[in-house]
Amino acid sequence: MTLFRKNAEALPAVNEFNQAVKPVSLWADAWRRLRKNLMALAGLFIVIFYTLISVAAPLLPLFPYEEQVLDHQNLPPSTKPAGEVLLHQKQEYMKKVLAADSRTEMTDDEKAQMASLEAEIKSNPIHQRHYYFGTDSLGRDMLARIIYGGRISILIGIVGTITSVLLGVILGAIAGYAGGGIDNFIMRFVDIMYGLPYMLLVIIMMALFGRNIINLFVAIALVSWLTIARVVRGQIISLKNSEFIEAARSMGAGSGRIIFRHLIPNSLGVLIVYSTLLFPSFIMSESFLSFLGLGVSAPLASWGSLVSDGVKTMEQYPWQLLVPAVVMTVFLFAINFLGDGLRDALDPQSKNRV
Amino acid sequence: MSDTILEIKDLKQHFPLRRGLLGRVYNYVKAVDGVSFSIARNEVLGLVGESGCGKTTVGRSIVRLYEPTAGEIWYKGDDGSRVDIAKISLEEMKPLRREIRMIFQDPFSSLNPRFTVKDIISEPLIIHHAASGKALEDRVATLMTEVGLDPNYMNRYPHEFSGGQRQRIGIARTLSLRPKLIVADEPVSALDVSIQAQVLNLLQNLKDELGLTILFIAHDISVVEHISDRIAVMYLGRLVELASTEELLRSPFHPYTEALVSAIPPADPDICANRIRLEGDVPSPTDQPSGCVFHTRCRYAKDICKTAAPVNRELKPGHFVTCHRADELTLAGITTCE
Repeated sequence: MTLFRKNAEALPAVNEFNQAVKPVSLWADAWRRLRKNLMALAGLFIVIFYTLISVAAPLLPLFPYEEQVLDHQNLPPSTKPAGEVLLHQKQEYMKKVLAADSRTEMTDDEKAQMASLEAEIKSNPIHQRHYYFGTDSLGRDMLARIIYGGRISILIGIVGTITSVLLGVILGAIAGYAGGGIDNFIMRFVDIMYGLPYMLLVIIMMALFGRNIINLFVAIALVSWLTIARVVRGQIISLKNSEFIEAARSMGAGSGRIIFRHLIPNSLGVLIVYSTLLFPSFIMSESFLSFLGLGVSAPLASWGSLVSDGVKTMEQYPWQLLVPAVVMTVFLFAINFLGDGLRDALDPQSKNRV
Repeated sequence: MSDTILEIKDLKQHFPLRRGLLGRVYNYVKAVDGVSFSIARNEVLGLVGESGCGKTTVGRSIVRLYEPTAGEIWYKGDDGSRVDIAKISLEEMKPLRREIRMIFQDPFSSLNPRFTVKDIISEPLIIHHAASGKALEDRVATLMTEVGLDPNYMNRYPHEFSGGQRQRIGIARTLSLRPKLIVADEPVSALDVSIQAQVLNLLQNLKDELGLTILFIAHDISVVEHISDRIAVMYLGRLVELASTEELLRSPFHPYTEALVSAIPPADPDICANRIRLEGDVPSPTDQPSGCVFHTRCRYAKDICKTAAPVNRELKPGHFVTCHRADELTLAGITTCE
């Protein structure tokens, strides 16, 4: 009267398509999927390129970023030496003067000026410099300033993202997993922090503890973990009652193991996307603070301070705004595409498996 | 009992229902309300009942996923020492988790999607420091072979397997610490019928080879009859009948069991199908009927059933029933047509 046959032959394990696929590790698998995603790959190369340049900046043949050459103020980007650009500018200027006065010949005085300029350019080696990205209003090389500014901006992005993700993930995971009083305490604290105006808080902290880069890092990181904590808490709450967590508990896994081995890896997708959104927002916050004069102080530069300097002169010297802005935008785009690709690549269940 | 491995006495599991700002408890869900039974070593006890009758809660209380409200769960180890699982701390429970393991119902949600098969099967071994390195990998390969999986697939993810294969992974994880007692919580109800048979046969073979004791929870009596030595029937948090499989199916004493048995689709044309339809719905476990909880749907109910709660008694040796009228009634089991 039993409904089932005993001793049925156990079937060999195969996947749903009866294929035997060579097993690969998570990272090798992720890399294979990332390689298929052209935008993410382009993003990765751009990020690597920026990182290499930033790290190797002191080794590169750059002019010192803080050196002011007052003869070279507001030179446009050019592949020619600075002397030639200067001379060309002077000649153009003289032509305009002659046209305005309806003359064809320069006065002796003007000829002497031109001659002394030419002699100066020939004699002084400083006029042999090339300014590929032009110079700013104090005669500083924009290329060097952008690269050194990038060092600070990228560093703020990295440090800010890492600290706020660490803080947010740990506190959010504890709140979500523990629940009850601990959850209430942490999340009400987050609510209070949310209620305070973010910029005001950073400005007060910068004013209290002094203006330097370390304080800037601390100030930005301290107020930016709030959203991460909320996102992670929500993820953990939705995951913590799933059966695989119960299975882990039934085998005697401790809370630490459940949180760090089971819950957080399963909220990784959201975390990666959110971090890559956070990264540019740090660069933006820093730019804004620099714009207000609370960020890095001269002669140090950051992308934000370069843009804010460029805005002041954008009608006469547009390259002082455009070049740092384009450099920064390309980087932020690359980070976003890379983050998007990483999310897909690191999810073992993603459909575009190779 | 000769060699009892697990003895449950008057187990109660009530979940408080809270309301209002201060979380005032205004009622309880009496998921399990006074269940007693025992399992002998090397036995398979089937626990059946409809959805929401508390059978899963009993299983989860045994592995201490829930804190029992009242009652005793005595576990007897190989060395003869007895421990009351319901009373010990979670810290003291940890060594017992090697011996009492659980198989989960849903093979899709009970495996961490970011773990490889190797991670999943080896996790209990790592938690209990049972093996590491190459030895760990060998253990995983052995376990996979035991449950009928190819060890070459140990670095793959659960979503690459079919439902039956995933349940095999779950079984391998359960077996990895060589447990004595397995609480199988509806291990086949999420699988289709042909795969159910494979998994049941696998469990049967493993039980014989490894000398396991299994508490097999299911809502489908035709699944349980295949594997169980004895069957316990639950209704609304209470045990209504407990007997050997053959006896429970042939001559049930409780009207609820009679109805359940009559609902088994007969695979044998000689079996008379005479289905009993129960009227009405299962009463809410927060607001249980007075007297016998089954009287609202029982076709043999009399006045006494509405007022006095029946006690669980041993009507025949080894055959327990919770019914006032068990001795007077002659109920139909599975019978062969003449």
